[in-house]
Amino acid sequence: MLQLEQVCKRFAHKRVADGISLQLQAGEVLALLGPSGCGKSSLLKMIAGLEQPDSGRLLFAGEDLAAIPVEARRFALMFQDFALFPHLDVLGNVCFGLIERGLSRVAARQQAQDCLQQLGLAGMEARRVWTLSGGEQQRVALARALVTRPRLLLLDEPFSSLDADLRRQLQQEFRQQLRAAGMPAILVTHDREEAFALADRVAVLRDGHIVQCATPAQLLAAPATPWLARFIGYENVLEEGVVPEHALRLGPDQPAAEVRRIIQLADGVRVCVVSAAGELTLTLSARELRQYAAGLAVGSLLHVGIDRAAMLRYATG
Amino acid sequence: MARRMSWLPTGHLPRVLMIEGSRKLGLALLPLAFLLLMSVLPLLRLLQEGQGSISPDLLRDHYLQWRISWSLLQAAASCVAALLIGLPIAWCLARYHFPCRSLTLRLLMLPFVMPTLVAAMGVLALFGPHGLLGINLQDTPWLLLYGNLFFNLPLVIRAACEGLAQIPASRLAAARTLGATPWRVFWRVEWPAVRPWLWSALCLVFLYCFSGFGLALLLGGQRYATVEVEIYQLVAYELNLADAGALAMLMLLLTGAMAALYAWLERRLAAPLKVDPLPPRRPQGREWLQLLAALGMLLLFAGLPLLAVLWRAGQAWAGSGFSLLQDEDVRLALGNTARFSLLALLLAAVLGWLHALAARGGLCLRALAFLPFVVSPVCVAFGLLLLYPQWSASLWLLLASYALLAYPFVARSLAGALDSLPAHWPQAARSLGARPWRVFYRVEWPLLRPAFRRGLAFAAATALGEFAVTLFLSRPEWLTLTTLIYQRLGRPGAENAGSAMLLSCLLMLLALLAFLIIEWPSAAQAAERREP
Repeated sequence: MLQLEQVCKRFAHKRVADGISLQLQAGEVLALLGPSGCGKSSLLKMIAGLEQPDSGRLLFAGEDLAAIPVEARRFALMFQDFALFPHLDVLGNVCFGLIERGLSRVAARQQAQDCLQQLGLAGMEARRVWTLSGGEQQRVALARALVTRPRLLLLDEPFSSLDADLRRQLQQEFRQQLRAAGMPAILVTHDREEAFALADRVAVLRDGHIVQCATPAQLLAAPATPWLARFIGYENVLEEGVVPEHALRLGPDQPAAEVRRIIQLADGVRVCVVSAAGELTLTLSARELRQYAAGLAVGSLLHVGIDRAAMLRYATG
Repeated sequence: MARRMSWLPTGHLPRVLMIEGSRKLGLALLPLAFLLLMSVLPLLRLLQEGQGSISPDLLRDHYLQWRISWSLLQAAASCVAALLIGLPIAWCLARYHFPCRSLTLRLLMLPFVMPTLVAAMGVLALFGPHGLLGINLQDTPWLLLYGNLFFNLPLVIRAACEGLAQIPASRLAAARTLGATPWRVFWRVEWPAVRPWLWSALCLVFLYCFSGFGLALLLGGQRYATVEVEIYQLVAYELNLADAGALAMLMLLLTGAMAALYAWLERRLAAPLKVDPLPPRRPQGREWLQLLAALGMLLLFAGLPLLAVLWRAGQAWAGSGFSLLQDEDVRLALGNTARFSLLALLLAAVLGWLHALAARGGLCLRALAFLPFVVSPVCVAFGLLLLYPQWSASLWLLLASYALLAYPFVARSLAGALDSLPAHWPQAARSLGARPWRVFYRVEWPLLRPAFRRGLAFAAATALGEFAVTLFLSRPEWLTLTTLIYQRLGRPGAENAGSAMLLSCLLMLLALLAFLIIEWPSAAQAAERREP
């Protein structure tokens, strides 16, 4: 559906997109994941039409988007702060896009009410938006975006202003709603868990280019670079590959390593050691910990080895 | 003229009360007594005078009917024109980036410090008899409306710009992606958000135009003068205190109602939040034409009168040079203006400090500092004459009224700065071993100094350009620059006209100086700008 070809964009001192090419299939959810300042938000703005690329092409269903203004693209954009209109009530916010698309007020209200009902917001029509809780605001923003049946849904950190519990709950709901609507979506986030939980594919961005674009499982099985491996949460990243927890071997026949740091956890400890291969971090369960009668202390020795066969190799190409 | 500054917000509600109740009352005593003696009692005296003489017959008089309806009409017309012209200009200034943008935004402050007389001279130089543009609009309503716009258009533009800057960029982008064209975004998102800012600004515009004196006196002519001018003429030329009192009472009631409405509107304005406004962008294609048209309109209404004064003064200078300024009257006026302004500034500094310190945490005192802004100087001066006839020849009465008009600037500016001073800074200084007065000297004073300087500069601009009260209380030996200009303007001959223009130019340059002091970035701001 959506296709990006060699998109470049730079601001005064910074290259925010450096030859980015991407494809989005019908009904697919793609996450743009990266640290802040990697250019993911600018890419989203270019897709929405709020920024123009310096070079490269954006196509949707085979049609070049360059000449199509924001309002005519029919891509809905949902913001981090939800950007609800404070001078309109909940119903007015949801109606906004429908009225702009030329619906009569009566028809718009009807559709908006149906949509609010589906999202569990029935009865909130007349509420002022600033009286809503964070989760309610998020749902109203989603209703406002979905009700116009956009061709593509663009989401800019839609969960980051919510607290952790609510975020997890809403992410699940959200995933179901997207599935039900069968709508393609692009999600911008800096939170890897959010990306892995919601997206079919994840494109990891750094300094304006895509480091790797793959399904979450592929990313975790074969990250493309050491930087990416660290970014998606691996602790033990070596030159030759990633050492996941299950590739670490304990026992007297393994080489000795010096314990540097110990962090107590609820059900064990996290230990940081310096081995011949480099610094390694491993988690010992309470059960494993009982083997060490003398207990672990900073400066003591722990026998840790790496099972090379279980190591993850970097993806090539 | 400087009293237009009053609409600018002074900051947020205070965080802490640093001074306990009884000491605060002690601090407030002097400013409160001053306000009582210099504005409340005179106004009450005026009401008393008006009450006795107001009668339905007076309002049935056709001449007065016309005066009152014209005063209302010109104020309303100025509001409509300021809105229609100001809003598009404000939109362009807020949304487009162009060379010298920040300078332009700063220059919008200029009319706030310009004496009314300078503006009036500029308007006359442009559209008066033998005007630079070859169009004589004397004795038409347009002269006064144009003068009103010179002062009030920047006020509306600044308010609208501030309102536009309060709209987060994401809200505008959301509207666009939901299918709204730029014009529809303006209509459905920007206009509702800017509206409250505009209403409160327009409320002030109406207030100032309705109770305007200087512009109406010079530009209104016989037919298009306002009620304020009528009051002055009744008192000064016809000695008809009864009718003047009735009119003044009417004015007080109407302006009081407007001021109350303004205060109510202002309170409804949301406290400025930290938002990411849409950054101004470079215009493209036809947008350049839009921007140029906006800047052209801005120049026409807010810049041209000042340029005309400069041009005409240059002509007069080239014609007869310095000799126009070499006479006894000019020397007297210059000396008086300097003397009165300095003494008024001293009074204003003391009263301003006391008021600001006392007003910490008290909304009531804060609102009282607003009083001298909204009451018309003509009414105050008239009230003073009625209340203290025995002192009408005392210079102190004149100086006190100068201070009355000037000190709220110092008070409001300082009160705003005091509010934004976090309580834990002085506390930190105390815990580091500083005694209270050392805390003041090393922490509070350096942080308050820029606000004090700004307040004083506004106060100075007010004192320099003071016209209404001076004219009302004037005595030959109290000649100031403004009254001298007015005298010269009333006399025939090119020489008088030339010298009036030169003096106006001098007054304008003094106001410019005040403007520079106000807008000169403080050291902290300059450092902030260097390290973005």
